[in-house]
Amino acid sequence: MFLARRDLRRTWRRFVLVGAVVALVAVLSTVLAGLADGLVRDGTSGLRALPYTHLALEPGAEAVFSRSTLTEAAADEFRSIPGAEVSPLGVSFVNAASTSGGASLDLALFGVPAGSFLADRQDAQDALAGEPGLVLSSTFADEGVKVGDVYRLGGSDVTLPVVGFTIAGSYGHVPIAFTSLSTWQSIAYGSDARGRVSAIALKLPAGSADATAAAAAASGTEVITKSRSYDGSPGFTAETTTMTLIRGFLLVISALIVGAFFTVLAVQRTRQTGLLKAMGASDAYVLRDGIGQMGVVVVGATAVGTGVGAVMVALLANTAAPVELSFTSIALSAALLIVTGLVGSLVSFRRITTVEPAIALGVEN
Amino acid sequence: MTTSTATIAPLALRDLTVSVPDGRERRVLLDGVDLDVAAGEVLVVTGPSGSGKSTLLAMAGLLRQPPAGDVLVAGFPTASLSRRRLTALRRDHIGIVYQSANLLSPLTAREQLELAGHIRRRPRREVRAHADQLLEELGLADRADQLPSQLSGGERQRVGIGRALMGSPTVLLADEPTASLDPALATEVAGLLAAEAHARGVATVIVTHDDAPLRHADRHLHLAAGRLVDGGPVAS
Repeated sequence: MFLARRDLRRTWRRFVLVGAVVALVAVLSTVLAGLADGLVRDGTSGLRALPYTHLALEPGAEAVFSRSTLTEAAADEFRSIPGAEVSPLGVSFVNAASTSGGASLDLALFGVPAGSFLADRQDAQDALAGEPGLVLSSTFADEGVKVGDVYRLGGSDVTLPVVGFTIAGSYGHVPIAFTSLSTWQSIAYGSDARGRVSAIALKLPAGSADATAAAAAASGTEVITKSRSYDGSPGFTAETTTMTLIRGFLLVISALIVGAFFTVLAVQRTRQTGLLKAMGASDAYVLRDGIGQMGVVVVGATAVGTGVGAVMVALLANTAAPVELSFTSIALSAALLIVTGLVGSLVSFRRITTVEPAIALGVEN
Repeated sequence: MTTSTATIAPLALRDLTVSVPDGRERRVLLDGVDLDVAAGEVLVVTGPSGSGKSTLLAMAGLLRQPPAGDVLVAGFPTASLSRRRLTALRRDHIGIVYQSANLLSPLTAREQLELAGHIRRRPRREVRAHADQLLEELGLADRADQLPSQLSGGERQRVGIGRALMGSPTVLLADEPTASLDPALATEVAGLLAAEAHARGVATVIVTHDDAPLRHADRHLHLAAGRLVDGGPVAS
């Protein structure tokens, strides 16, 4: 990198434009990574917070609660697994209208039996143990909802008071509210619930795969892992696919820009490359110099852009925007940008290797 | 092989033939050229524009392989060598001085010379010492840290000579080294080139259409119709 280093130091203005473009792409890529992580978190934080390891659902439900209807009896098959914790779970989206004329609430209503391992926080346990009511996500308390406020749940005649708040997160970008399983059943099915639930939540010990498979077969259910259960969250697949697509396009654009820049640079440097070869520099020497220079520009610009993007994500995290500052995700995003930038620059290498040393003398035929 | 190394010419051309497309026909630039250049000899080749002087130099400098004939550098035939071997031979045996110096704009005078040492993978300290010594000899010690844009035409050409000598070549080739200089500077640069060649025992070929190098030549050949012929007397 003898020549490349000095070239960068003394003709740095030439690299400002491509560096700025790569840095801007890095900013955008970092913010998108933060947004993608934030959306995933926002859509599945409720499920992530629940202490289950697997879910048993109706076969073919594809992790979507609304497509799955089981009975509480299915839970009995899993209770025979040594060390397993088992809880029926009802999940539905409801609108809760204030009976006192306040604002209505959109809720992801999770029905769990009293004492369920799913409501592991003491405040939720205490609230569910008493009279039927709603345990709301603590975000509602910040919005002025108080314990004792009464809500009529959409699609039913059920009215429930707010009995407490807990840190419950959200599901499908809708805040989660807990209620007792029997209350959930009366909301979902009226007086004809017949023990129906959406899923069986499981907390399985290690090494219980065979027993779990047997219980699933006996109960006529399909068992999926916790991470697989996120896929059924409303909008989850569409959001992650869209974000991945946008980030993919950004990487391709970055690769094309870097490739175009270094190809033009390679053309401009044809005589210089010829001179180096005439001096006895091998193709490998000239390429090393070029790759090194590209590496410095791409890595430097990406580092600056990623830093700026990370600051922006950190600032946005203090607002209502669904963003999350994840070091792993941002580092991966930066690494991908560097790799694609360098891959883009590879197109200029052919130009470099085909330059004849005779060009240095102006002899071209 | 009974030939002693003392008799081997550092540069020899054998039956070198080159033609280039010219409309529907081909124009012969070099027509069976044979040439030996001895160690320490300064050969000046003159000829009109387009006569093939630069092509001759490109072949002699192993910058291009001849379609017919052979170039022997330090006694090694090169016609069948790979690109890689040609590069290594070029690196180890050949120095080239270009018209208008052909310096690299981001490098200072000293770095132009150091680059030649860097390409040869010589130790950094040794390269620096050698570059400083050459710059001193060429009268450029106080200009070592100047970029090409800060040097005069004569200084640039002297840096170019220094760069060519940096690899301690056995063959020195110069392409119109005085073409872009005024007469006084041209004489100075040509004299410097010849003096360095004589002092170092380097076989030197200067192609030019300028008179200045002739005053310092040991031999003068003229390239016409693809053949090298006696170019007439030299000043010495």
